[in-house]
Amino acid sequence: MKTKILLIGGSDETRFLARSLLNKGYRVTVINESREQCESLATIKGLQVFQGDGSKPFVLEDANAYNADIAIALSEFDDANLVICELCKKQFHVKKTVALITDPEKTDFFRMMGVDSVVCTTTTISSLIEQHALMNDLNTVMPLGSHIQVAQIVIPEDAPAVGKKLWEIQLPKAVIIGCIMRGENSVIPRGDTRIMKNDKLILIVSDSDRQAAFRALAGN
Amino acid sequence: MKLFERNHHKTNKDYTIIVGCGRLGASLADRLSDQGSNVLVIDEQEKSFRKLSPDFGGMVIQGDATEFSVLKRAEIGKATSVIAVTNHDNTNVMIAQIAKEMFHIDNVIARLYDPDRECVYRELEINTICPVVLSTSKVDQLLHEM
Repeated sequence: MKTKILLIGGSDETRFLARSLLNKGYRVTVINESREQCESLATIKGLQVFQGDGSKPFVLEDANAYNADIAIALSEFDDANLVICELCKKQFHVKKTVALITDPEKTDFFRMMGVDSVVCTTTTISSLIEQHALMNDLNTVMPLGSHIQVAQIVIPEDAPAVGKKLWEIQLPKAVIIGCIMRGENSVIPRGDTRIMKNDKLILIVSDSDRQAAFRALAGN
Repeated sequence: MKLFERNHHKTNKDYTIIVGCGRLGASLADRLSDQGSNVLVIDEQEKSFRKLSPDFGGMVIQGDATEFSVLKRAEIGKATSVIAVTNHDNTNVMIAQIAKEMFHIDNVIARLYDPDRECVYRELEINTICPVVLSTSKVDQLLHEM
């Protein structure tokens, strides 16, 4: 049986997400309050559209929330997204709920309230911008838990690490180099792998060792 | 900000935070303040505080009470009760849950226009007041008295 996904609220991103999920073979239903959005969503083939406030139980019921496997709350209001996820979970027994939030401080609170996944637009977008704007810095790609992150760094020409083997570099303890992207190739590093200029290193690193790792690899 | 120093003349320890200075919020704030309680009202709009009576002896903070920084400025940790009476059900739900789960406030009350959303609150021990339900039962009672 196809996985059924319910998308609630949102605007452009909902349209893109709905298309992409339909292409991947999921059954997708959207709920949107705005008539305009609904009309534009209704032009997407195979998409079920319901107009209404998705934070109201009867609207969710109309849209068959009981049958949904995943509910994703995409409205611009954090409070509405919380209520949508809680209703989906408690009243409609949806297996997995995902909430979009703008205030990064509330991530843990949403998880505490039983939301399965929390996506914070503010932190996601700002870290993406940092990644693109500061290419020769150590950039967080994805925070993992509270003190660990996946990060990337591009090795500059004049870096102390250029030409050295990994075991020759004094790295702090809480760093793992997971992958080296070299042009079109990717190298899974070993102790005797040599670092070259313009290598892009993907690291798993603790927040506290981040700066030390950056200095050891890229210099100051 | 030290909110409590200004109130040192008051001896009772109870401290109520009211979120939303609409008609209900302002009237509750006035009454609690008359009774000698420590009251703080939070509202996003400065002009909402005009609804408070000139005798109101509590404090006000302008800001978004769903932000932790605003709640901390209000010293929510010291509150004995939090009452969420903004005009938005979802906002009241969220504030009530933040007060209960993040700051462990004993007495949390929220107004809900839509009684259907109550299932979210029930297991969290949040008290809800629903104007429709209250009015319905009052009207029903008046009808049967005739």
